[in-house]
Amino acid sequence: MNEARFVELLGVYGADLVRWPEDDRGSAAAFLEVAPHRIKDIWESERTFDHLLALEKDGPASISLETQIISTAPARRPLMGASSARGLWAIPKWATGGALAASLALGFAVGYANEPLRDVENDYASMLTISGGGAGSMYLTAMNDGGR
Amino acid sequence: MHNLESGLLQTILPFVTVPLRGVGVQAMRDPDEDLVRRVGAGDKRAAAEIVRRHLPRMVGLARRMLGDASEAEDVAQEVFLRVWKHAAAWKPGAAKFETWMHRVAMNLCLDRLRRVGRNGGDVPPDTVDSRASATRALDDRQRRERVRDALQKLPERQRAALVLCYYQDRTNIEAAEILGVSVDALESLLSRARRTLKTALAAERADLLSGLETG
Repeated sequence: MNEARFVELLGVYGADLVRWPEDDRGSAAAFLEVAPHRIKDIWESERTFDHLLALEKDGPASISLETQIISTAPARRPLMGASSARGLWAIPKWATGGALAASLALGFAVGYANEPLRDVENDYASMLTISGGGAGSMYLTAMNDGGR
Repeated sequence: MHNLESGLLQTILPFVTVPLRGVGVQAMRDPDEDLVRRVGAGDKRAAAEIVRRHLPRMVGLARRMLGDASEAEDVAQEVFLRVWKHAAAWKPGAAKFETWMHRVAMNLCLDRLRRVGRNGGDVPPDTVDSRASATRALDDRQRRERVRDALQKLPERQRAALVLCYYQDRTNIEAAEILGVSVDALESLLSRARRTLKTALAAERADLLSGLETG
């Protein structure tokens, strides 16, 4: 630390060495200890200016503002483990497989039960209706097409 | 640099994976890390704690930048809405949470200043106020008002640098990060800000000095 550098940093960060760059604080304090009066006078002058700026300090924030902001904070989410990120309406993978199997089973059951009484065109229409047009109905549609 | 787009980019950066330059920032554990994690999990108590811890600084920053207490409260509310929104995605180690909050608050202030065309006056007040000689006995309240006025007259970049380093106690590295400038550029802004203020507040400074000497 030399005189020029000390005065330069003084003009940037002020007299409080805590605000100075970390690497310069130690050497600046040591320099100030043995600095000539002229430099100490400059430092004192900057310190007075810091006092003046310090008059414009923060007061506490208003309680009503604090309360209002806290009220906007999100509340704890329901504990749903990893699936919570997908939202309430997300369907887990096992459920998708189960639905497919159930749809197929229902489709076969209806198909076999009605076969003696209906022609192919009617079977096709009723299966679509009963199985709700899901994956099972698509499979049965293919079966009907194959039987023609 | 500080248009809305760059401001938003800087706002979300800590949620991506960009590390900060500056050794000290990453080496220390973020004092807000645990609180932010709990806020992200929906813990209301943690939210209240983080508000109590940071609200005064957020309001202070915005008030000094905007010069309006009501607008400052609006900005503070907006900052915390972003905290609630992003807390769950916060990645410790990318940036100190408080530094990110300062960046959000500063960008919101700069955006507001630009929207309404307030820039603090590009011409620094380079003459000593003519009322100087008549105000030898200013009390602290009056002096505080004069300091506020002088701060508001600073060009916004100088004001931002001074507010961050002096009033918000940010390190030079943090302040440079928040403003998106180099440390050298930050020092230049700080130096000019102090010079401008010294000129604008010459009377108050002299008054304070004489008070100290006689007191």
